[in-house]
Parts: sequence; C-alpha cells; structure tokens
Amino acid sequence: MSTLTLERLNKTYGGNVQAVRGVDLDIADGELIVVVGPSGCGKSTLLRLIAGLEEISDGELCIDGQRVNDSEPAGRDIAMVFQNYALYPHMSVYDNMAYSLKNRRTPKEEIRRRVTETARLLAIDDLLERRPRQLSGGQRQRVAMGRAVVRQPKVFLFDEPLSNLDASLRVQMRQEIRRLQKRLGVTSVYVTHDQVEAMTLADRLVVMNGGRIEQIGTPMTLFNQPATRFVAGFIGSPAMNFIDLAHAEQTPWLPASTPGGALTAGIRPEHLQLVTAGSGDLPGRIEMVEPLGSESLVHVRLGEHDPLLVVRLSGDELPAAEQPTGVAINGPVHLFDSDGRRLP
Amino acid sequence: MRYRRPGLDVATHVILIIGALIFMLPVLLALMASTHTLPSLLSGGLALLPGSEGLDHYIQLLTQPAGGVAVPTWRLMLNSLIMALGIAVGKLTISIIAAYAIVFFRFRFRMLCFWLIFVTLMLPVEVRIVPTYGVVADLGLLNSYPGLILPLIASATATFLFRQFFLTLPPELLEAARLDGAGPWRFFRDILLPLSKTNMAALFVIMFIYGWNQYLWPLLAASDADYATLVMSLRRLTIAQDGVPPWQLATTMTVLALLPPVAVIVLMQRWFVKGLVDSEK
Ligand SMILES: Nc1ncnc2c1ncn2[C@@H]1O[C@H](COP(=O)(O)OP(=O)(O)O)[C@@H](O)[C@H]1O
Ligand SMILES: [Mg+2]
Repeated sequence: MSTLTLERLNKTYGGNVQAVRGVDLDIADGELIVVVGPSGCGKSTLLRLIAGLEEISDGELCIDGQRVNDSEPAGRDIAMVFQNYALYPHMSVYDNMAYSLKNRRTPKEEIRRRVTETARLLAIDDLLERRPRQLSGGQRQRVAMGRAVVRQPKVFLFDEPLSNLDASLRVQMRQEIRRLQKRLGVTSVYVTHDQVEAMTLADRLVVMNGGRIEQIGTPMTLFNQPATRFVAGFIGSPAMNFIDLAHAEQTPWLPASTPGGALTAGIRPEHLQLVTAGSGDLPGRIEMVEPLGSESLVHVRLGEHDPLLVVRLSGDELPAAEQPTGVAINGPVHLFDSDGRRLP
Repeated sequence: MRYRRPGLDVATHVILIIGALIFMLPVLLALMASTHTLPSLLSGGLALLPGSEGLDHYIQLLTQPAGGVAVPTWRLMLNSLIMALGIAVGKLTISIIAAYAIVFFRFRFRMLCFWLIFVTLMLPVEVRIVPTYGVVADLGLLNSYPGLILPLIASATATFLFRQFFLTLPPELLEAARLDGAGPWRFFRDILLPLSKTNMAALFVIMFIYGWNQYLWPLLAASDADYATLVMSLRRLTIAQDGVPPWQLATTMTVLALLPPVAVIVLMQRWFVKGLVDSEK
C-alpha cells in the first residue's frame, strides 16, 4: 500500500537529449495510472526513472513520502513487467517466479506457498516446470506478470506489456490486468502507446508528448475536455477533426463569442452528421467510405486544400462516394489557440 | 534446407568418405606402425596392416624412459594434461570475467581496456616469447606448472567471443535481475554463467587442444624432465643413440598424444547436445 510522488522529474541523456522534462505526478495508493503518448515521448524513460534503472538528472521521487532518488532498484521494492517479458530463459517458470524471493532469503516453504498461490491466481499452475521457450506468447506474458505479483511489491510498473500479443489476446489480458490490479490493490504505472488500452485501463490517464506531461485526468475528462490540441488529437479513435479557422471562409456554426486570431476548431467524428447537399453547417464532397461493419467512416473533402473531414456513421448508413454532401455539427466544438491550448 | 535426391546423396557420401579417408590415413598409418618392430618398419615401407607387437610398445613407453626422453610417457601425459587443463580452465575463467566487466559495467577507460585486450590478439606467444621467458625466469617459475600455464592463460579470442555473446542478451535481463534483487555477483552466477554453458563447452574444447598442442613454450620453460610435456618430447624421442630413430616408439607416442584431445571432444560433444536440448527446447 503505497503512494508515489514525482516532483519536477528530469532526465537528460548524454547532456543534450531531454527525454523527460519537469514531470509532476501524484499517484494515490492503489491507483492505476496509465501513461500514454507517441513512440519516443519518454514513457519508458519515466518508468525506468521510477524503477531506478536510470539515474534521475533532476527533481525528486518519493515512495510513501520517502525520497528514493538514490536507492538501488531492489531497495525500492518495485516490480516491473517488460515489453519482451525478460524471463530468465534457463530457469523454469517456478524458478523465474521464485528468483526474487530467493534473493531476499525468503524461507523455502514460504516461497513454495507464494509461487503456487500466484500461479493459481494467473492460471499458470500447470506450467510451473516448463522453460520460457516452451510457452506461448500469452503464457509468457502471464509468467512475467506472475514474477511481478509474487513479490507483493509496493508498486507495479508495466512497459507496454501487451504489445507483443495478438489483438484478441490483448483485449483479454487487458481485462485481466485490470481485475488483478484492483484485486491486489497495488499502486501501478502502466505505459502504452495504444490509446484504447489506455482509456479502458486507467483510473487516471497521463498524456505525454516530447518528454512533458500534456494533461492528467480521468479518461472521460481527457476525452471531453482535452487541455491541448495534442491531447484532443491523441485520445479518441478515429482521431478528432481539426479545422484551421484562419483559412475558413464562413463559420456561422461557431459561437458568437469566439475571439478572432489563428484558432483551430476540433470536432470529433461522432459529432458530425451527413445531410443533403446545400444544407447543414459545412458543404463538402464525399471522397471515400470505409464500412467497418458496426460503423462506417466517411471522408469528406471540404475545400481544395483542406484536410479530409472524417464523419462517423452507424453501420447501416452507407452513402455513395463522389457525391456532394452537407455536414452538420451535432456535438461540442473544441477551440485551441495558436499554441495548441484549449480556450475555455 | 535439405535436398532429397538419391543421386545427390550418393555423391555427397562419396565426397565425405574420401575426405574422411584423407584425414584418417596418417592416423591409421601411425596406429599400424606402432605395432611393428623397427626392422620390419625400416624394411617394409608403409605399414598398412597390424604388425606382430600388439600393445608391447605402448606398455614399454608408458612404464619406462625411452630414447632421449628421461621419464616414462605416463608422466609426460600427466604434465600435458595438467598444462592443458590449466590453460583451458584459466582462459575460460579469465575471459568470461573480463567480458562480464567490459559489457556490464560502466567504468572509466572501459573501451580502452577492451581495445588493449583486443590488440593482444595480434601478439601470440611466439612473438613475445623472449620477454615472457625473462619474466617467468625472474619469478622463479621455470620448471613448474604455474610457469607452464600462466603465460598462456589470457585469451583475447575467448574474451571477444564472450563479449559478443553477452551483447546478444536483451538488456532487460539485467534490469529484471536488478529489480529482483540480484547484485552483480548473483547476476553473474545465476544468469550469465548458466546461459553461457554451451559457449563454455565449445571454448573449453578449443582451448584444451590449444594447450595440449603447445610446443615452443614448454620447450623453453620445462628444461627439467619432470615437467616435460608429451608434444615437446616427441622430437626428443627420435634423437637416437645408435643412429636409427626408434620410429616404432615415435608412432606409439603419437597415438598416445592423440588420445586425450579425442577423449575431450567426445565427452564435450555429449555436453553440447545436452546444453542445446536444455536451452533450445
Ligand atoms: N539510453 C539512452 N541514451 C540516449 N537517449 C535515449 C536513451 N534512451 C532513450 N533515449 C531517448 O529518449 C527519448 C525517449 O525514449 P523512450 O522513453 O524510450 O520513449 P518511449 O518509451 O515513449 O517510446 C527518445 O528520444 C530516445 O531516443
Ligand atoms: Mg518505450
């Protein structure tokens, strides 16, 4: 049962690569925080700073209010699940799970009890004698989880643990991780670049970009009130449509109180509707229709040089391509200034 | 990929058999010659069939001094064995530890150390033999086992091979071990060593044969017959008192010199397979 506090955390590699910049984060006991962001934005680095695998360049890291900047990884009592699992190839599943306990001189009986208990919890109790090579990807993933769980650590760290699994297994393991984390109540930080995974798992979501935190909040807060244009574009699938207002001709659909200047309007695809040509808020031409079964994505060209607008329709509506159309807005319009910040 | 065509099978087997015969012929000749008497060898040309002496020459050599060799051959074999084992075990130990330091520790002049070790690849014993002799003599190690072993015990090749192997391991393995509370020593003992088993077996075979076949260094360092090795003594045996070298004994000793390396290869081969079966699936 632990809290985790990050204060102005910085990591600079080799003097000039700023991988993590001024990260402030308070993680409550038992909370599952998901850190999400594009590749290279510093997610792994942040996790490795917490684990103690990288030295903190600047700032402070506290576990339960205790500063741990200078503690060895083992001394922080943190367990980590790696993307490639990093199981010890020459050890059986049992030994993989028992290794950390052995290193702490846990009595043999206690080790046996905890390993079998954890194995049962993760449904890998019939694999205990096998080597990692003799396991499927999903089973290896479970063993990697088991190795973390068996230690009963203060904090779990996950670095894209599901990205090597196929899609259906990923959905299943995602739910299982969520259930396990709630059941054990261990404070967790989970890193992913997959925003669906992030939305479904998180108590609170942290969106990172270029080493900085863009926004922290519950998944629904981030979805409904993205603080920056980056968050708005990153959260939600298909991504939010952006319309550059500096080049738009007429915008009667904007609220009258909208200030002038180089603004960008953001509208989610599900908040747009196709109407007959000549009516609606925006005139356009249907360029392509992507039927996905339960829904269809319609790409609409507004002007010659404008980007395509994506409209999300329910599955049974299938308009013909190459037709003029009108687009109506039936949901919130988000406004961002030239720095990408949300206007209230 | 394997081709399945009978004609090709026959052709490859013919080539393999010819190759094997070419390699086997000298060994076979030595084996046959060791069972002939000297006069029969000198008169009969190549000895392709077993002679009349059976194992007599082997018993003679193993139990008593012969020719220019002052000790029985069992003693030479023991010396050779100690030297070869010492060199092989020493080389493995030192090189795996050196590679461990170079790959897993960040210290000042790390790359300099690596290149220094690497450069010594270009300095075999023969090149540095005079200074090496001076050092060993000053240390009073001439005519001793340490004197035979120590100058040959460092191996840039093995260090390099272990380094390459360590670099292929995912770095997360070390990180997982660190989080699991394994310090440097435990990581080495519990994870690196077991993963290196097959590499060590292969290198052991190579290094044992290298040590066993040393000629020049023992010739210098072991002037005392008590420390003479088998390979360096082969030539001494043929220094004959009455002008005719005892070829029947020389071929016998040659066969004896072959046995331990062959035994090591056969033993280690089983170990390889076991290692492969264990770790690969
Ligand atoms: N050991 C390192 N040395 C130098 N730069 C690094 C190192 N590790 C990561 N970086 C850089 O730090 C940035 C963030 O990396 P990372 O945390 O791995 O991103 P993410 O996990 O979000 O994809 C990247 O630009 C990467 O190139
Ligand atoms: Mg990463």
